[in-house]
Amino acid sequence: MSVGGAAGGAPSAYEPNKLRIYGLVGSIVGIYLGSILNSALNTELFSFIGAVAAIFAVVMGANAVRRVCAYGIGTGVPSIGMLALGMGIIAVMFGLSVAEEINFPLLSPIITLIYAGVFGYIIGVIANKVIKFNIPVMEEGNADLSMAGALAILGWSFAISGTLGYADIVNDVLMTGYIAIIFIAGGLAILHPFNANLGPDEKQDRTLVNAVMVGGLAMVATGIGALWTQGLGAGLLQIIIGFALWFYFFKMYYKLVKRDASAVVGTGLLPPTVQ
Amino acid sequence: MIDQYTLIYVLEIIVGGLLVGVGVHFVPVGGAPAAMAQATGIGTGTVQLAAGAGLTGLLAAGLMMSVTDNIWLILASGAVGAGIMIGSTMLTGSWIYAYAVGTPFASAKVNYDPITGFSQPPYVAPGTVGQGIPTICFVSGLIGGMMGGLGGAMIYYALYLINHNTALSAMFAIGIFLVNAVIASWNIQGTIEGFHDPKFKKWPFAFRACLIASILLALASVLITGGA
Repeated sequence: MSVGGAAGGAPSAYEPNKLRIYGLVGSIVGIYLGSILNSALNTELFSFIGAVAAIFAVVMGANAVRRVCAYGIGTGVPSIGMLALGMGIIAVMFGLSVAEEINFPLLSPIITLIYAGVFGYIIGVIANKVIKFNIPVMEEGNADLSMAGALAILGWSFAISGTLGYADIVNDVLMTGYIAIIFIAGGLAILHPFNANLGPDEKQDRTLVNAVMVGGLAMVATGIGALWTQGLGAGLLQIIIGFALWFYFFKMYYKLVKRDASAVVGTGLLPPTVQ
Repeated sequence: MIDQYTLIYVLEIIVGGLLVGVGVHFVPVGGAPAAMAQATGIGTGTVQLAAGAGLTGLLAAGLMMSVTDNIWLILASGAVGAGIMIGSTMLTGSWIYAYAVGTPFASAKVNYDPITGFSQPPYVAPGTVGQGIPTICFVSGLIGGMMGGLGGAMIYYALYLINHNTALSAMFAIGIFLVNAVIASWNIQGTIEGFHDPKFKKWPFAFRACLIASILLALASVLITGGA
């Protein structure tokens, strides 16, 4: 029995439109919820909600990678993940800076999202029209990727800094260098699932569970960053929740691997032992 | 807000992005086949190579920027840094191809190496499209790496003058760099040997694509401030 579906235009168990709505709404609402709770209760404990919100974006991004890369782009899956994060970081910096300049910091996720969507769509149009890729889902996929990369970076940046203020994020996330960890951990969470699961037996649910799993690991990394910027409570909470997410979804992933594999056998230790 | 300096920064970012996009075409990217010594070039993807060279260029440019604000020295430092990075990658890669895998270096795209004049076809193993990094690819790779570093340094320099924040400029430069490098690598579709490869003639497509992308990126970058 299989609930996944083959990639590349074949039916998937979860429709891309539905996943996009879940991803966008989940991450935007999560970032706002964390930000409002943090400032209303004058605490930093709710920063972990930002990291959880980023996972919604990651799942949407992993699904977009899966859709675009199933057509074969010739340069390997990692290239498109790096593109997603490259577009994302520009959108985040743009959104935060512009929101600060018009004196309305709470608007930054929306500005980020709009810039990311428009820029990603244009990159998709360039890829299809100028470079002549002719992949039908390229525009849509690139817009999804750009928005996913941007929201993931924004969510994790919020998880480390605890506020959506531009100056705070520059000081806590950029100047400390944690942005590099977010960049690579976020890139892995978006590009690794399809890279690890691709092939004729690729199943959507297995790929997406892998994305949540790597997102949990990234949350542990942002928790270590938060230990230094926000203190013991907020940091430890993120590390524990991240580890719990990773553990739960690792178990689920292993179950799905066993479901899809024709056989799971031990290889024994070196030198070869008789099974 | 719009003055002649802003215009210069925008132009610098666009030219930097174009240098990155065209520079990628010079780097001998072999991808997975080269990792198995079944194709000419370095055995990894375009983006990894371009990002490696570009980030080293950024570091070198940033270091030079901490002692001087002379644009030519900063650009030269970026170009040389990226050139050293890609050169040492190709050199150590060559040692592995020569001494560990044990293949002769040969290009399958040309009959005679344009620089050394050595005959290539007798050394191409049957069923492969060349192995290792022949002289022409090495020279081409150095040019590509230096172009990428020059472009990265130019973007970083313009961004730093806009927002006066090193970390922000560096991350933003990486973003611009990656977007241009990925668009260019899509244009060459995986593997290329260098400027003697027939695929190199496709560079005007990447030029146009990177131009559009760089204009959009440059317009966003001049709106960004350095924070508190």
